[in-house]
Amino acid sequence: MRATLLVLALMLLPAAAGAEDLVSGLSQDQIQITSNYTGSDLVVFGAIEQTPDADSDTVDAGRRDVVVIVRGPSANMDVRRKDRIAGIWINNREVTLAAMPAYYYVASTQPLDKIASPDVLNRYQIGVDHVKPERTSTHKASRAEEFRQAVVRERVRAHLFTEAPAGVEFLGYSLFRVHVPVPAGAPRGQYTAEVYLFRNGVVMSAQSTPLFVDQIGLERNLFNFAHNEPFTYGLATVLMAVLLGYLSSLLFRQPG
Amino acid sequence: MEIYLPIAEMSVHWLIVLAMGGAVGFLSGMFGVGGGFLLTPLLIFYGIPSEVAVATTASHITASSMAGAIAQWKRRSVDFVMAGVLLAGGLIGTSFGVYLFKLLREAGQSEIVVSAGYVILLGTVGGLMLSESIQALRAARAGNPRPSRLQHHNWIHGLPLKMRFRQSRLYISVFPPLVLGFFVGMLSAIMGVGGGFILVPAMIYLLRMPTGVVMGTSLVQILCVTAATTVLQATSNYTVDILLAGLLILGGVVGAQFGVRIGAQMRGEQLRLLLAVLVLAVGLRLLIGLVVTPDDIFSVAVEGQ
Repeated sequence: MRATLLVLALMLLPAAAGAEDLVSGLSQDQIQITSNYTGSDLVVFGAIEQTPDADSDTVDAGRRDVVVIVRGPSANMDVRRKDRIAGIWINNREVTLAAMPAYYYVASTQPLDKIASPDVLNRYQIGVDHVKPERTSTHKASRAEEFRQAVVRERVRAHLFTEAPAGVEFLGYSLFRVHVPVPAGAPRGQYTAEVYLFRNGVVMSAQSTPLFVDQIGLERNLFNFAHNEPFTYGLATVLMAVLLGYLSSLLFRQPG
Repeated sequence: MEIYLPIAEMSVHWLIVLAMGGAVGFLSGMFGVGGGFLLTPLLIFYGIPSEVAVATTASHITASSMAGAIAQWKRRSVDFVMAGVLLAGGLIGTSFGVYLFKLLREAGQSEIVVSAGYVILLGTVGGLMLSESIQALRAARAGNPRPSRLQHHNWIHGLPLKMRFRQSRLYISVFPPLVLGFFVGMLSAIMGVGGGFILVPAMIYLLRMPTGVVMGTSLVQILCVTAATTVLQATSNYTVDILLAGLLILGGVVGAQFGVRIGAQMRGEQLRLLLAVLVLAVGLRLLIGLVVTPDDIFSVAVEGQ
């Protein structure tokens, strides 16, 4: 739903308004993370192309900014708040944020609040303060915001939400690239890489490219095993425990 | 080398986990206890989610009780009839406990129940042990023999459905061992303990089993119940971490061997005093965790992960 809106918004952009056009690409459209590794790196690169009819005035007229966003798959998140009850901190209130991105990375040429107005940032969900769930289980806007901020804090701590206000690296006048860290804990699924070109706080051009993140390796296989065949997995764990216990009784004679 | 625990979903250093298993194994060998009540809090302090700590510790106890159970079996000091009745109660208890745990997790309350349960359990057991060992030390210093606390009759003997336990030389109702098994089984599911520290005194003082068969019988019961708990936790809560379990067990079985040797050189009262202090310290640390304002009062659980 939101993705369709975004695509619509991108299509409605005044294509002819600017004399500049945006091309971008990804280093990979498939990322495989081994969980025991420190994660992986994605490179988003692009160029701002000058159309031939552009005169030199438009190029220097005002500030030009590039914003790159990598958005992970959406998930429902149960957020709980602890309250002190009888001296002890107990989970008290629960709010579910439906369809919240589980991963979010934004890089820009300067701090986001200097690039565009809050309205614009909200419309395109640019910046961790502007990432919103589709629905919440509470009707109170202030409470929804309080719990949304808690998710942002938790994700930032886990390096799953990141803002890099100087993360867009320009190589010359028109070429740019962004290193996007994909940590080991990044959820698997469909991601999108979005590139926005701003001029004077207005989106001039935008591109969206899908990519897929998958987790591989022994740990992932064990996770799948535990979730797909839990009974066999449980038995295997018990078998391992019994065997190791038995082996230890063979190796070390019980004194006494 | 960092390894990623697939179920706990966190990176740990394998040596630290191995050392934790070894330390708990050492203590359990030294004091002759299962060690679950030390291992679960230790894992929680390290940052393992409490539901994973509880479920994974169950499998650790399966391994650590295995060696002991075999040794007792060879000595024929296992009352299999009694173990069977305890186990029947234990299986019902752990099934109920795992179900209860699932409900608690869905309500977001499993963490607090585990912590608060441990504070109560460790506080009570540690307090009792401390006062008992201080009394014993005083009595030993005064040169008096310890007064016997055994009574000759209790209410247990009035219950119906009596059954003969030949090896224990007992003719008692099946209800006390069934209820005892149930209670310990439930503890195993909710707190990740074998329950030996409750089972053994209850078998001696309540059921009046001869001390010669108590160790073996309780070990067989603990072995079977924790094995069942592991499978049940894996199937209904997906909280058993096989990598974590493997490392803890490897450390544990080695540590236990050293612990047994050290423990054999120490006096019983001193050992109990030491254990009591340790148990109280762990309980206190958990209590502080409950009372102190957390860094972030919010917690996030991603659905379907």
